[in-house]
Amino acid sequence: MSKDFYQISILPFAAIIIKICRAYTNSQEDFEDYYQEVCLQIWRSKDNFREQCQWSTWVYRISLNVCLTLLKKSKRNGQTYFASDVLPDVILIENRAFEDESLNQLYVAIRQLSEVDRALILLYLEEKSYQEIADILGTSANNIGVRVNRIKERLKKILYEKFN
Amino acid sequence: MKNSIEEIWKEGFLNEKSLVAPKINDLYNQKSKHVVDKVKRMFRVNLIIISILAIIFPIMHYFLDAIWQGVAASVLLLLTAWYGNRLTRSINKLDQGATSFDYLQSFDRWLKDVLSRGEKVARFSYPLYFLIAISTMWSAWNKGPITSKMYLKYPDVTFVGSVPLFAWIIAGVATLLMLYFSDRIYRWDVRLMYGRVFDKVEETIAEMEKLKQGL
Repeated sequence: MSKDFYQISILPFAAIIIKICRAYTNSQEDFEDYYQEVCLQIWRSKDNFREQCQWSTWVYRISLNVCLTLLKKSKRNGQTYFASDVLPDVILIENRAFEDESLNQLYVAIRQLSEVDRALILLYLEEKSYQEIADILGTSANNIGVRVNRIKERLKKILYEKFN
Repeated sequence: MKNSIEEIWKEGFLNEKSLVAPKINDLYNQKSKHVVDKVKRMFRVNLIIISILAIIFPIMHYFLDAIWQGVAASVLLLLTAWYGNRLTRSINKLDQGATSFDYLQSFDRWLKDVLSRGEKVARFSYPLYFLIAISTMWSAWNKGPITSKMYLKYPDVTFVGSVPLFAWIIAGVATLLMLYFSDRIYRWDVRLMYGRVFDKVEETIAEMEKLKQGL
């Protein structure tokens, strides 16, 4: 991977990758692993990019695919994945990745969703249109709105229980 | 909680300084560790299986009335396990190198060395296993008065001991063939068990080389 490729094609989109990787990992070590694997996968698949979509959409798609694959692999290998509300204290402390406490809490709530719901809500929060969300996730745009509302309700409930 | 989740997201990331990309100067560190650990784990499981077989074989052979063959197979298996264990331990002396690339390359060299040693051992152990298997089969088959029945039925057949000469010849030719093909059988055997993970090591090294060229 050339430095230019990293600086031009990955670094400007690092925020996207970080936001996604944080939603699928429970520790700094895992987060860095996932981040690196996403960067590698973007580099590996750069030749497959056909400019039918924006580069950022491509980055979203690869980031989500890599995170879902790695999560599946770690589950298969028997690495325990904790639902965030039962996380041991050590992991919770490590997991305070952001300075904003509300954001940390939101991430804890997001990690309690299913893998696909996490992807959906992340894309929604990134202000992607329903059509873009459907394109990235490779599904139909029909039910995206209904699903997003359902996920938002669930997140609100989790956050409400946490704050009260 | 006052804000909506959209507001938490927006406001949270507005002044967020933690969105700094982690350094990726040692991209394959974890990955190479995982690959090496996987191979180590597979070798360990293989040794356990061999040791268990070394216990089961004499018991099984006892019921086949071929206890000595069982003991011989067990000794051979235990020797294989001992040698395998010695080789697996040598992995700890591997040169860790300055980077994960150096580590993985020295691991690959180690793997090739282990396989070539294994081939040499297999050249002798495989024909021995084969002879033990034939001997066991003969013992089990020869339980009844089969030799005397054969004498009566085929009076022209030449016997050496209680075994027909043609059986000696077949067993001898098969053992020679086993000796000749043992390295190929060993490679096939190894490929069957570890093929995927060995490919993974080679793929990772190739990718790391490609990555290095670009840097």
